[in-house]
Amino acid sequence: MATPIRISVEHVTKRFAAGAVTVFEDLDLAVRDGEALCILGPSGCGKTTLLRCMHGLAEIDAGRIVIDGVEVRAPSRKVAMVFQHFGLMPWKRVRENVAYGLELARIPRATIDERVEHYIEMVGLRGFERAYPYALSGGMQQRVGLARALAVEPDVLLMDEPFGSLDALTREVLQNELLRIYQERPRTMVFITHSIEEAIALGDRVVVLSSRPARVREVISVDIERPRTMASVIAHDRFVDLRDRCSRLVLDRPAA
Amino acid sequence: MSIREAQASAPSAARRRGLSPRMGDWTVRLGSIAVVLLVWEFLAPSWNPLIIRPPSAIAVAFVELVESGELQTALLTSLRAFVGGFIIAVVIGVFLGVVTGRWRTAFNAFDPLVSALYSVPSVALIPIIGFMFKYQGDAPRVAAVALFCVFPVLINTQQGVRNVDRGLLEVARAFNTSERRLWTDVILPSATPFVLAGIRLAIGRGLIGMIVAEFLIGLVGLGYLIIQYGNVFRMDRAFVPVITVAAMGIVFMGLIQWLEGRVAPWLRREQ
Ligand SMILES: Nc1ncnc2c1ncn2[C@@H]1O[C@H](COP(=O)(O)OP(=O)(O)O)[C@@H](O)[C@H]1O
Ligand SMILES: [Mg+2]
Repeated sequence: MATPIRISVEHVTKRFAAGAVTVFEDLDLAVRDGEALCILGPSGCGKTTLLRCMHGLAEIDAGRIVIDGVEVRAPSRKVAMVFQHFGLMPWKRVRENVAYGLELARIPRATIDERVEHYIEMVGLRGFERAYPYALSGGMQQRVGLARALAVEPDVLLMDEPFGSLDALTREVLQNELLRIYQERPRTMVFITHSIEEAIALGDRVVVLSSRPARVREVISVDIERPRTMASVIAHDRFVDLRDRCSRLVLDRPAA
Repeated sequence: MSIREAQASAPSAARRRGLSPRMGDWTVRLGSIAVVLLVWEFLAPSWNPLIIRPPSAIAVAFVELVESGELQTALLTSLRAFVGGFIIAVVIGVFLGVVTGRWRTAFNAFDPLVSALYSVPSVALIPIIGFMFKYQGDAPRVAAVALFCVFPVLINTQQGVRNVDRGLLEVARAFNTSERRLWTDVILPSATPFVLAGIRLAIGRGLIGMIVAEFLIGLVGLGYLIIQYGNVFRMDRAFVPVITVAAMGIVFMGLIQWLEGRVAPWLRREQ
């Protein structure tokens, strides 16, 4: 394979409750440079935990996770995360929330202002810079979360079911925005979801995990060309076949 | 409506929505006070004038006490003790609350002392405070107010620091926060509403401490005015400092409310 590997998860085991709960065991996974990898799995199978381990937010019990040749031990500035619960600071206005990661990285003020403005524009929040999160809808709050992660211009973007708590209409709008943002400038992205449709539409490949302890059931390449939109993916000839394969895997049923 | 228009109108709409029910609120509040005063005014003559005087008599007494300067002198003395003790209590309470809320060792070191002092009725300690400060000047009354105020501030701050959203702590870690920025970005702002709630409780308790200290230690201030005129059955005059204390409570609560809007504008959503 020509594309280099950006993140490799090698024989990783993660346990909770002093070893009583095994979330995953001997898990192997590779994320290629510039690809959008979707991880699809039933709720509670350990997707969030896997992402936390990839970012060094949780320790692993065995194996190793390597990003760009460096073993992950603590959060790195080259990686940014978008949270399922948005994770906005209620006491910061939109622009302060977006600037958060940049400020922590001690980037010069002028650059911060420039970048904040750029990414606020990119996620469609122009005019809301001075609003507090409570005044925003869920969809807009997650736009802030996305802008905050994009603003640090990470090499790797980790997204934990970012649209999972949004209503269906808002979710589709944001899925399309993310497709657009990714397609304008592809970057390595790990996107966690429990929606089959979302995994196929956003991913170059889809990793299907089993229920706990999570194992990789299969890695499916999504052979649908970009640029995509949610509508174009669903209307695509390959979609039904891909969806059926994924759902058989998720539901643990053998191929018919 | 474009996004920009939505943003421009959203805050003012919120403000309008915040204001109109508050006007209604005030009508009801003032109305109910007016009703109580009216009923009081008309029923008072049928009671023993040594015990109950009508509001009009109290109003006259108020003017008399202002003209003689007694009320201002007493109010100033009381205010000195209250404000001094209150500020000391907020500083100590917030500091100890933060330290004990964040570090287990500090909690273990202070908790027995705090629990012991908190479970003794503060009133019982006032004579001891008077003795400790040799009944001299403002100091014993300042200390009494501080004692009454400090626990709600301390305990609320402690809870606030402990109740930081774990999700936000993780966000901060994910973005590589420093310890100092963790405090300024996450822990302190998230504790602010708790601290303010503690401060609000402290106002009520501090006024009690102030009056009781004036009864038991100083024989000065508004508390002493109450005793002085109560002892000579001038209930009209005795009521004046009582009402003044109530007014102090209202003013300080309003001040804290205003402060909250300044230091924690994101809490305005509750209106
Ligand atoms: N901090 C933790 N302590 C103990 N158990 C945890 C913790 N985090 C997650 N778990 C457990 O690990 C399992 C996987 O959780 P999670 O990664 O959140 O799943 P998913 O994101 O796929 O829904 C669940 O059974 C959950 O209860
Ligand atoms: Mg999850």
